[in-house]
Amino acid sequence: MIRKYVDVICLNDKGGNIKPLFLIWDEGKKVPIKKVKEICPRASLKVGGSGLRYTCVFEPNRIRHLYYDRSKWYVEMEDHVI
Amino acid sequence: MNRTILHCDLNCFFASAEMLYHPEFRNVPMAIAGDIKQRHGIILAKNVPAKTRGVKTAETIGEALKKCPELILRSPDYETYDYLSGKVRELYYEYTDRIEPFGIDECWLDISESIPYFGSWQYIVSSLLRRVKEEIGLTLSIGISNNKVYAKLGSDIAKEDEFFRIDSLDDIGHLPVSSLLGVGEKSIDRLHSFGIHTIRDAADSSPSYLESVLGKYGISLYLYANGLDNSPVARIDQAHEPVKSISNSMTCSKDVCGLDDFKIVLTVLSENVGRRLLNKGLYYKTVHLTLRDTHLKVRTLQKKLKENTDLAKQIYDEALSLFLENCDINLPYRSIGVAVSGLSDKKEESQIDLFEKSGTYSLKQKKKETAIEQIRRRFGKQAVCSLRVLEDSELSSFVNKNMIFKEDEKQI
Repeated sequence: MIRKYVDVICLNDKGGNIKPLFLIWDEGKKVPIKKVKEICPRASLKVGGSGLRYTCVFEPNRIRHLYYDRSKWYVEMEDHVI
Repeated sequence: MNRTILHCDLNCFFASAEMLYHPEFRNVPMAIAGDIKQRHGIILAKNVPAKTRGVKTAETIGEALKKCPELILRSPDYETYDYLSGKVRELYYEYTDRIEPFGIDECWLDISESIPYFGSWQYIVSSLLRRVKEEIGLTLSIGISNNKVYAKLGSDIAKEDEFFRIDSLDDIGHLPVSSLLGVGEKSIDRLHSFGIHTIRDAADSSPSYLESVLGKYGISLYLYANGLDNSPVARIDQAHEPVKSISNSMTCSKDVCGLDDFKIVLTVLSENVGRRLLNKGLYYKTVHLTLRDTHLKVRTLQKKLKENTDLAKQIYDEALSLFLENCDINLPYRSIGVAVSGLSDKKEESQIDLFEKSGTYSLKQKKKETAIEQIRRRFGKQAVCSLRVLEDSELSSFVNKNMIFKEDEKQI
């Protein structure tokens, strides 16, 4: 597995919270994030890194972890997918 | 009140941080090493596979590669270390406000007053071990005791991701006296020659006997060995004690030979110390110059000024005069350091000399240095520099390289 950095469109609310709204995939496709189920500090032992882990629900009800580490977003990816 | 003090030590911190961001190095021998070209070619940290191959911290890269030719060498990434260390400390603060850092990867935590809130020390310790591993991706060794010295020893004894509690001298009496905090190589030789080999030997000696062997430190050693060290763990608000000295030093990529070379290095060091003084609004009274020759022999010189000042130019002038008056300018030097002490946030008032200019505070110079700092803040460090610095780019190349350029502020 590898760490794949991605562009993310977020909402920075009045309370200082960051909510990811869309993930921009390679071809520039905007993938909407339906819901953020959980936010917790977590290390990614699979691909390396340490930051905030957002458990996101994408259409159609697929769950992926999105990591926010020092102002960058990344997802865990299987090598062969890239 | 019986205290409960933890000493939390991040295991192989630099190497673990590297492996956290590069999992591919987890199962191969890997070490963090200084830059061999810049003559910092020593092993700073290594992972477990490298350790099992005999690689040791502080040995040269050459020695390490002889033992383990496939050793992967990585440069230190201090930005990541600072980031991770900060995150771990934030986590500690969830358990107590009494946290005293001991280097970037170690901290003492006084949890005596937190235990009623969390239930037990066992809960706090297991929670710390689990959360640091899960949330940050690093592992801790935790020492637990009623004093800082035993707690530190406990974390040395504890295995990776585990804890070790020391309740009394009986738990550690058999260990060599060198395991205690502050017992260096010279002290060990002296203690051994007086028949003191184990912690119990030191604990059973009288303070006056240990004082006769080691001087002042002998009394501390007696207290340390008996677990009687009662020094407190600092609180958050005590952690920022006033700075007592500011220093910059560098090991040059080539030896500093002759006065011209020396002036180049001194200019950069003085300007940096001056800049930090200006930013902190501090004035200094004493200038220190440290020189290390090619045989690694260190010489420190110092000069006390008549009145305190914050001018970088004066650091340069005083350090240069110390060098010219006391050192052989033809000898090559490997590293140079400049420090200022006797710091105060107030300028001392003094009588202006009617005839002599020297010794009086130059407002013109102050304006010049303030203007330079403003330019640097706006356009970056490299926006303006002394012409001398441009004379030898190799010698002055350390300006922006924190790796080989040590900045230090001491509170002690």
